[in-house]
Amino acid sequence: MRISVRALLLFSVFVVATCGLVYELVAGTLASYLLGDSVTQFSTIIGVYLFSMGIGSYFSKFFNRNLIAWFIQIEVLVAVIGGLSSTILFLLFNHVVSFRIILYMLVSTTGILVGLEIPLIMRILEDRYEFKDLVSKIFTFDYIGALLASVVFPLLLVPYLGLLRTSYLFGLMNAGVALLLCFFFNKEIRWIGYLKTTCILAIVVLVAGFILSDRIMSFTESMAYTDKIVYSAQSPYQRVVLTKNDRETKLFLNGNLQFSSADEYRYHEALVHPGLNSISNPKNVLVLGGGDGLAVREVLRYPDVKKITLVDLDPIVTEIFRSHASLASLNGKSLASDKVEVINADAFQWLRTNTQQYDFVIIDFPDPSNYAIGKLYSNVFYNLLNASLAPDGIVVIQATSPFVAPNSYWCVVNTLQSCGFNTLPYHAHVPSFGDWGFVMAQRSPNWKLNTNYSNDLRFLDGKTFAQMVVFPKDMPSRQTEVNKLNNQVLVHYFEEEWAQLVN
Amino acid sequence: MKKPGRRNFIFKSITALGGLAATGGSIASCTTSSKKAITGKLLGPSFKAGHLLRKGISIIPTQVEETDVVIVGGGVSGLAAARWLKQNSDKEILLLELEQETGGNAAAGKNEQTSYPWGAHYLPLPNNSFTALLDFLHECKVITGYNEAKLPVYNEYYLCFDPEERLYINNYWQEGLVPRWGVPQKDQQQISRFQELMDELKDAKGSDRKYAFDIPLANSSADTQYRDLDKLTMLEWLLQHELTSEYLHWYVDYCCRDDFGSSLENTSAWAGIHYFASRKAEAANSEPHRVLTWPEGNNWLVQCLRETCADSIRTNAMVYNVTEVNGKIAVDFMDLRTQKYKRLLAEKCIMATPQFVNQRLLNNIPAISAQRKYERFNYVPWLVANITLKDVPQGKGFGLCWDNVIYGSKSLGYVYANHQQVALFPERKTITFYYPLADDKPAVARGKAYSSGYDYWQEFVLHELEKAHPTIREQVEALDTWVWGHGMICPVPGFIWGEEKNTSATPYADKLYFAHSDLSGISVFEEAFYQGISAAQHVLNITVA
Repeated sequence: MRISVRALLLFSVFVVATCGLVYELVAGTLASYLLGDSVTQFSTIIGVYLFSMGIGSYFSKFFNRNLIAWFIQIEVLVAVIGGLSSTILFLLFNHVVSFRIILYMLVSTTGILVGLEIPLIMRILEDRYEFKDLVSKIFTFDYIGALLASVVFPLLLVPYLGLLRTSYLFGLMNAGVALLLCFFFNKEIRWIGYLKTTCILAIVVLVAGFILSDRIMSFTESMAYTDKIVYSAQSPYQRVVLTKNDRETKLFLNGNLQFSSADEYRYHEALVHPGLNSISNPKNVLVLGGGDGLAVREVLRYPDVKKITLVDLDPIVTEIFRSHASLASLNGKSLASDKVEVINADAFQWLRTNTQQYDFVIIDFPDPSNYAIGKLYSNVFYNLLNASLAPDGIVVIQATSPFVAPNSYWCVVNTLQSCGFNTLPYHAHVPSFGDWGFVMAQRSPNWKLNTNYSNDLRFLDGKTFAQMVVFPKDMPSRQTEVNKLNNQVLVHYFEEEWAQLVN
Repeated sequence: MKKPGRRNFIFKSITALGGLAATGGSIASCTTSSKKAITGKLLGPSFKAGHLLRKGISIIPTQVEETDVVIVGGGVSGLAAARWLKQNSDKEILLLELEQETGGNAAAGKNEQTSYPWGAHYLPLPNNSFTALLDFLHECKVITGYNEAKLPVYNEYYLCFDPEERLYINNYWQEGLVPRWGVPQKDQQQISRFQELMDELKDAKGSDRKYAFDIPLANSSADTQYRDLDKLTMLEWLLQHELTSEYLHWYVDYCCRDDFGSSLENTSAWAGIHYFASRKAEAANSEPHRVLTWPEGNNWLVQCLRETCADSIRTNAMVYNVTEVNGKIAVDFMDLRTQKYKRLLAEKCIMATPQFVNQRLLNNIPAISAQRKYERFNYVPWLVANITLKDVPQGKGFGLCWDNVIYGSKSLGYVYANHQQVALFPERKTITFYYPLADDKPAVARGKAYSSGYDYWQEFVLHELEKAHPTIREQVEALDTWVWGHGMICPVPGFIWGEEKNTSATPYADKLYFAHSDLSGISVFEEAFYQGISAAQHVLNITVA
């Protein structure tokens, strides 16, 4: 047995080096994902880590007895801190003010502990090797470990295991080495029982983390919302999450805010009334998208309207907004109204087969952030719409922010015009979203608007609407290409413009 | 409404990462041990009939019918001929098709979600000079009208939706098929130089003032400066122009395999350049280089062709002998449904069949069989697979496109059949995988293709797809394969402007005419359509412009 002690200790050097570098890379990658600017993140993290190793090495001189026991103890600490580091960072990201402080504290703690280990192991081995052999062997294994880590991390670990599992796996390796050493030096160490127990505890925690990492992941996702989640569901099309605090209720689809109860009335009043109030004697109204029933609520203010057809892809959304008490109170139980028919279908396909004509059509689709949704803003779609519009009918379309995404906004306007529509662009301030854009479209070039809005409205009145059609100097109309199925320019515009904002 | 805030954006990327982590473990654990059993069928054109024909049938049918014109073969050329005759004459015609359906290699299938192609699946925007084709497209509302500049306005449901193409290269999906991602500067320069040369050749005209490369290719210039390119291979031409980049070679090789099923070393330089330089379309509402496509591929066009002549078509009719009897053409066939033998006597006959079939059918006309050198016609076998997936795995880089190609793969990658549907989120996705067996001699490759069973091909297809989608196996719900023994005529050097093609296309005794894309030398819809129409014009004694 004695013969392989040296080998075992050198193997520990190798594991320590590999694991140490992996933790550093995990921290760097995570920081790049969460904070952006990977160059800064990686270089500061590598710097802090190396410096901390220096601190660890310095402090190693204060350890004088029971070196192997200390080594094992430190190894267990590295295992636990390193193994849990990525989970801790994910969990805390949205909930602490100074995320960076925690990040660098974790990195430097790991660095200090790893920095302690190499000097300790050199001293453990000092009697077993000549000095020149010792230095050569230790550093050889140290650097090989580093190479292995840096190659395996991007090629295998991140793609196949992900960051959480990688951390747990390498934590397990650290803990495994510690446990192995415990058995090897069974007789030489005084508090062996205690050490073994901590090793096993660490292993249990890490294995649990490894197995549960999927759940942890979905939990960290739910942590993304600042408020309490009162409802969440996964439909075939999207993740529906509803949050609530003292002041407001918010709906998120795939993590994107759809509305906040604090200011959604601004959005929906602006969406519905300028058009619908201008139609004399509207009978049939079509709503495409808008499964939350909030636009329908506004339409129901017009007693002349006999029938409202709501076409929304997602049955989960229309169902919760019909049956969930607090949501139904938001839309005034609009979806339960006798006038409303809810159809869960793909709007494009539904429109192709529709033969009915509508006096007013509200289009409230998600923003054109991908090629699938981009189709719903194409000239082909608007030509279909034309066929479903009554002779004096009006269409209104939500068209993203003309301030943040002017090319996207004006692309919707220009695409409508290319299909022979006359357009009336306007915009409103909705605090949760910013400056938001809408377009009305009709066949006739003469707009006969009725701006005598009901006094019951909270936001819209004649004076306000007069301002809404004014586009100030910094957001003038622009020429864009027409969005077609075979060019999908709108998706390109949209990606470009919103990417600038988020990066 | 709906703005992606910064945090949401970030968390999207993390959940994506988490998704990777979540599936990562299972990949590692199930690549070797627990392969899911995937079921499917091996399909293909009637082998049995082909076998019967090779053995030869010597029965002379006693049941005889008469008609004006018989068309043998219901592929695109046969249908185009039938349509033309219906529209431009009152001749009684009969079209005999061996299979249950007409359409030749523009076959298609269907599942609950979508139709999908089993062969030819797109039509590049046609040259505006090819008015016969434009008229047909207008007739079936692919062209909805013409603008003030007289440019065709294409139906936007049929123009390929964006995004059109992506290439998996260096572990990344890049947009477009021309290799760019991680491609060294000097290779990119060669690729640009190649593209400039092709642009020059696109406009080039010969001494007869015809385009050097045109469609139909018969309209191309006879100038030897260009036609002599047919004597070189595409590889030799590239090397002559000091175009040595392996990325460029892969790309041109891919294009040759895509259009002709043949490799760089085996394709005539004239044909190879024709791929890049012959298309000069102009459209009112599309860029010139785009394509028309349908979920069922060119079978959609086949159905339009068929509509004009549906009542003259007899399917399951295996023609086994065509001969001259008392100044008429006798076409003997077996009705595969009733197993009965019949003879059609016609004034004129169009053989809209490939030459490897004519080789079996025309033995009893010595004047024909003595002249022909059928062995000069090489046909590449193809393997096509349709795979229904729960979802196409999201790889790194650009999202799912219509055409998805994997760099370095011998296959042509896959085409997304649901792409032309307007529905946003199909419940199941179907992709069509194409693989020309271009590496062996056609006869050897054909033997291999036929002797390999379904299991072999299933594994082959999955293996190729796994190069870009390591987890695709878990998504597969059904995988069917189809072997085309004679998928495409191969334009080997010297074939397109060689003697044999002309000899085989020469009508016999003003009674028997020939129409098939193998007589053009390249297997594309435009050529088949042109062959059919010009044979029909010959039948009516109209001089072809």
